[in-house]
Amino acid sequence: MAIQTATKTLTMVQAVREAMLEEMRLDSTVCILGEDVGPRGGVFLCTEGLYAEFGPHRVIDTPLSEAGILGSAMGMAMNGLRPVAEIQFIDFLFPGYDQLYSEIAKIRYRSAGMFKVPMVIRGPYGGGVRGGVYHSQSPEELFAHIPGLKVVIPSNPYDAKGLLISAIRDEDPVVFLEPKRIYRGVKTEVPEGAYTVPIGKAKVVREGTDATLVSYGAMLHVALEAADRLAAEGKNVEVIDLRSLVPYDGETILASVKKTGHAVVVVEAPKLGSFANEISAYIAEKAIEYLEGPIMRVASIDTSIPYNLEKYYLPDADRIVKATKKTLEF
Amino acid sequence: MAAPFKPFTDSPIGYINNDGDPVAKMKPTFTDDELKRLYRLMVLCRAIDDRGYIMVRQGRAGFLAQTAGQEASQIGSAFTLAQKDWVFTTHRELGAALTKGMTPGQLLAHVLGKDLDPSKGRNMPSHYGDGPLNIVTPSSVVGNKTPAAVGVAMAATIRKTGQVSLCYMGDGATSEGDTLAALNFAGVFNAPVVFALQNNQYAISIDVKHQTKSRTFADKAAAFGFDGYLVDGNDVIACAEVSRFAIEKARSGGGPTLIEFLTYRYGPHSSADDDSRYRKKEEIELWRKTRDPIMRMHKYLTKQGLWDDAAEAKMQAEIKQEVEVGLAEAEASPVPAPETVFDHTYATLLPHQIDEKIEIFGHA
Repeated sequence: MAIQTATKTLTMVQAVREAMLEEMRLDSTVCILGEDVGPRGGVFLCTEGLYAEFGPHRVIDTPLSEAGILGSAMGMAMNGLRPVAEIQFIDFLFPGYDQLYSEIAKIRYRSAGMFKVPMVIRGPYGGGVRGGVYHSQSPEELFAHIPGLKVVIPSNPYDAKGLLISAIRDEDPVVFLEPKRIYRGVKTEVPEGAYTVPIGKAKVVREGTDATLVSYGAMLHVALEAADRLAAEGKNVEVIDLRSLVPYDGETILASVKKTGHAVVVVEAPKLGSFANEISAYIAEKAIEYLEGPIMRVASIDTSIPYNLEKYYLPDADRIVKATKKTLEF
Repeated sequence: MAAPFKPFTDSPIGYINNDGDPVAKMKPTFTDDELKRLYRLMVLCRAIDDRGYIMVRQGRAGFLAQTAGQEASQIGSAFTLAQKDWVFTTHRELGAALTKGMTPGQLLAHVLGKDLDPSKGRNMPSHYGDGPLNIVTPSSVVGNKTPAAVGVAMAATIRKTGQVSLCYMGDGATSEGDTLAALNFAGVFNAPVVFALQNNQYAISIDVKHQTKSRTFADKAAAFGFDGYLVDGNDVIACAEVSRFAIEKARSGGGPTLIEFLTYRYGPHSSADDDSRYRKKEEIELWRKTRDPIMRMHKYLTKQGLWDDAAEAKMQAEIKQEVEVGLAEAEASPVPAPETVFDHTYATLLPHQIDEKIEIFGHA
């Protein structure tokens, strides 16, 4: 791949759009389908202008049916295309959940590799935008638990573009969740042209020695805010952006925890059954002898997500600071 | 093209009656050899099905959904598919799998969960699939294969491959939301897909009156903007003729078709079902003794002067041999190696799976 040096300052929405644009230009089998993805450009404008460039056979406006979108995308993937299926809000995916759970995730296994579905299921997820019960949820563990799916969550525009390109090129179905709370609020320099960020590699975004904060998506930024506050109190914490949940980068987590002796996992989903549990259990199994305090989980509360009281539902820097101090002072 | 058949009829489209006499003014468009092949495939299918049933009774197979009674609708519908066409089966499509090209050895290996099964025994029996033949190994969830069948057809249009997607479903599947989504997508995108709906009149114990208030299942196509045909599903000529029309219509850009094959399964829903709880023996006997698709075709061929006792004896001997050879192949095939249990979850093993593999087998 040619080394690209030119960059642009982009939002995550723009980075997501660029990833699809680049791949569609490079590979004629890449296509997009979903609700309002055509001339409308998607309700968040992630597909803006793509219909005009690639036409109705490659940017396909579908009837309003998530089961239809996911199931037909699966068939397209089986028959030589690389579809990117947009789900308008991940909260709306569940009429099509069986297509993910029973079909897309299992066809390779149940056919012993005879059929494969290289496809991406992408869409905005998460709270912090006053979206209420059905435009705010973080159901990533409901995808991560299904063998056969990969699950990727970027925290910034650079990773979003590189990870989405990796997802489109992947031979397996990838659920690509975009934290809409930072769709436009976080901007980074993004290279022009196609480049990849590997799926399954975490990133140490802040180095530290006292404790390890593991997070992903919009919560990564809340964890960084907490790290700043802890630094002001003389506590030097390391922050890891997981980036991929399936597969997840256990080695990077272990290397950090063995160094710091303390782990705090921050997720936006309700705590019970959340992905924080997987990471916590992994650390406990592999590195308990290095721990100097309990592994802490900071998550949303175990309720639905309210429109008006959202601030009490979501993890904030206060809760992360408190949890970190609890393990540090154990 | 001008449709040779009328959609949405009150009574099923048929070519021959229960006595094997022609009832349609139209002559079959198939050659004598093709008609004999349809008959032979039905007899072979029944023989493999019977062998599978014996293996269940012997305790060698844990499960079977018998096909007996539905041979005409499955074999007739799949008979004119091209090699490149796609087939989405449910959990009973032995006849379709056989017609598309799977061998008796593969089919029986599937019942035994052996390596010769192209799906390597991953699914419980009666879920036939084969990659090179584009027969998609099905899930057991009713009605949820239909959207992918439409997606395959959409890709065929986009890629201009000229492929058709043949999607089987049962009467029960018409009540599932995913089926309705698929029918809608098929209509909106004018996809080259044929829905082969075998109405065998029961979804386990639920009869059609409790499944729908629609007059026929074929009628449902009207709501999605394409034609539905009600066909005598035990008349293999009618099944093959209407299917050929629908397949070629799809291939030439004419869009989707729904075909309802009115048929009947002789066995229980599966080897785990007790059908005496919901239907009478007399009803089964009525279908088996007077409407059997194999018997009807045998009578037709004989009356047309295309078949005689000598031909029948020769064919029966050949089929007996074919099934025996297939069974021997299936029995000789090994059970897949234990380590393969991890394979094909993803294109490659993920790190956490490698950890699990080491834990269970002691090596990666």
